[in-house]
Amino acid sequence: MRVATMPPRYRPRRLKLRDGREVMLRGIVEADAAAIVQAFERLSAESRYYRFMEHKKQLDPAALERGVHPRPGRDFVFVATTPAPGGSDIVGAAQFVRADDRHTKTCEFAITVAEDWRGRGLATKLLASLVRRARRNGYRKMEGLVLAENVPMLALARKLRFAVQPVPEDASVVRVERALL
Amino acid sequence: MNKIWLKNYPAGTPAEIDPDQFRSVPDFFEHVVRKFAAKPAFHNLGRTISYAELERLSRYFAGFLQALPGMAKGERVAIMAPNLLQYPVALFGILRASMTVVNVNPLYTPRELEHQLRDSGAKAIVIVENFASVLQQVLRNTPVQHVITTQVGDLLPTPKRWIVNLVIKKVKKIVPAWRIDGAIGFRAALARGAAASFKPVTVTHDDLAFLQYTGGTTGVAKGAMLTHRNILANVEQTGTWISGPFREATEIVIAPLPMYHIFCLTSTLAFVKWGSLIVLITNPRDLPAFVKELGKWKWSTMTGVNTLFNSLMNTPGFDRLDFSAVKVVVGGGAAVQKPVAERWQKVTGHCILEAYGLTEASPGVCANPPETPWNGAIGLPFSSTEVSIRDDAFNELPVWTDEGDLEKHTGELCARGPQVMKGYWNNPEETAKVLQDGWLKTGDIGHLDAEGYVTITDRKKDIILVSGFNVYPNEIESVVMTHQGVLECGAVGVPDQKSGEAVKVVIVRKDPNLTKEAVIEYCKPLLTGYKRPRYVEFRDALPKTPIGKILRRELRDGSATAPAPAPATPAPAPQA
Repeated sequence: MRVATMPPRYRPRRLKLRDGREVMLRGIVEADAAAIVQAFERLSAESRYYRFMEHKKQLDPAALERGVHPRPGRDFVFVATTPAPGGSDIVGAAQFVRADDRHTKTCEFAITVAEDWRGRGLATKLLASLVRRARRNGYRKMEGLVLAENVPMLALARKLRFAVQPVPEDASVVRVERALL
Repeated sequence: MNKIWLKNYPAGTPAEIDPDQFRSVPDFFEHVVRKFAAKPAFHNLGRTISYAELERLSRYFAGFLQALPGMAKGERVAIMAPNLLQYPVALFGILRASMTVVNVNPLYTPRELEHQLRDSGAKAIVIVENFASVLQQVLRNTPVQHVITTQVGDLLPTPKRWIVNLVIKKVKKIVPAWRIDGAIGFRAALARGAAASFKPVTVTHDDLAFLQYTGGTTGVAKGAMLTHRNILANVEQTGTWISGPFREATEIVIAPLPMYHIFCLTSTLAFVKWGSLIVLITNPRDLPAFVKELGKWKWSTMTGVNTLFNSLMNTPGFDRLDFSAVKVVVGGGAAVQKPVAERWQKVTGHCILEAYGLTEASPGVCANPPETPWNGAIGLPFSSTEVSIRDDAFNELPVWTDEGDLEKHTGELCARGPQVMKGYWNNPEETAKVLQDGWLKTGDIGHLDAEGYVTITDRKKDIILVSGFNVYPNEIESVVMTHQGVLECGAVGVPDQKSGEAVKVVIVRKDPNLTKEAVIEYCKPLLTGYKRPRYVEFRDALPKTPIGKILRRELRDGSATAPAPAPATPAPAPQA
């Protein structure tokens, strides 16, 4: 039966960061849409550029809709939250989606951490969780595009044993990839 | 690593130079003006000033600056002017007053000027009246307290001064109306400085000579901190390379590139060291006038960029000029194209000496030996300069020996030497991206061969090179995105016959009635000429990966579109 092959739900857990602060790590839910929009609005222009590789005035509604409804077994979105007045703030997000419907064993990832939550190991934890989750979902390879100047992201990818590959005809971006065996 | 390039150095070029011969640029300057006092130094618009006059005028200007309230050592002073005699006077005056020069492109729009003045914290600006209206629009948003305005003819003798200033204002009408309360005229400033008497200040090696702005990947320009030692080192490095045939106080140098640009700036200082006469070309875009000026001189040296060499050769009369005194012609900025180099050699009988540099290296890093025909390489590293090709993990890659897989020898060109900047002004994050263990990561991709030649094949930083000017797609996109009718956009460089590369912008419209012309028109007051999109393409969506990252290389090709009305050709300048 199809349902039986679905990976188990992710149980929310608390993560302790290097500076002693804690965040909650969990899968995204539909109700997170507003918090995602707010998190996007708090990001600097540079962070947005690193994530989307273009200037974005606002999140595209269709993409947001897809983002809060990951296709079970194919896509996954982690959010790291912290209590805030009236609910919680999203301070980090990491996701993977199926890279190509013909190559169903490869997923593409992206990761974003709020500026004032960087340098505390959160991105490392997010990416490590993403790798484990993708492997459990049956993916064999994880890949991502990174701007060549995005030094912190490249360092993180290397730390988690991603290989850095040139992108033909465009030296301004690199592909990071890792087998998930 | 072994300096394998030394074996191919031009005769007489040392492996190492001494960057500490002089304490500072003013120390160097004072030495030169004493030595060559009676010799001609700069020529512009029919007037020549001697080294002694340059010393006197720059001393007055330094004295004037020192007497201004709040102007202490280390304050930044901007200069916004084309090549005029006022430029070297103001430049050396600022440096002698132990202040830092901030060179500003005079064609900047108010938006661009405001950023640079705010970022640098300039308290004073020297500006040619023609651009004063631009300053006026943003002045209150900047830290500038003292405005010194100059008219084009201000350093010409009477009555020529009156005539030139009158013609520019009333006949050519190229001075838009302006009003800045408290602005001081350049001539009045010199008079005040003469009365105030200049007090020499000790300037040290590590003090900042220039905050030299260069485009930034996040869309705004960053100020490269160039110290006195950086500049003196590069003056020596580039000077020893090309000066083999030079004789003191006899060379005539043609300077058509703007002095606000690092290439012209450092090379001018290198020529000053030889007591040369430097002929400042105010408007190299007026090609017939430029060719006429060339005809007046037995010139021996010129610096230029590909676009300029090409335009000169296409100007009637150029091929009939007398090239018998020519010793060195240096091409920098963007790559000099093979057909241009070959044609130049045919017409003038001399090779273009192709050099490579960037603002962050004051700027010279590599150059071909003099009289080397075009070979596709950027040349050998200068004296006291190390280069290294690094992979993404900063490991050094082996030199290319014409065997095996070139890809395995191809990486980012890194350079180390006394000319490498201290960092970006107030910007440790951007500094950390480009400086590592004393190495400057240039962002250019290439290889080093066994003969010591460096060849550039690609760029790591996303830069569009328009006639030698760096254009960052990010800045163009951030401007285009502010248009209400634009939903999404991406800017890329596309090949262009005239300017090497041109800016193309791909737009997803929010307003279906938005036209290409409207986009270009919108950019005019926000982006200086060379940055403006030349091609505009509309698409229904931008090409993206499944997770939503733009596939920039897929923006380059696409439906061939007719070029939009061409913006004014930018004044040629080298890469920085």
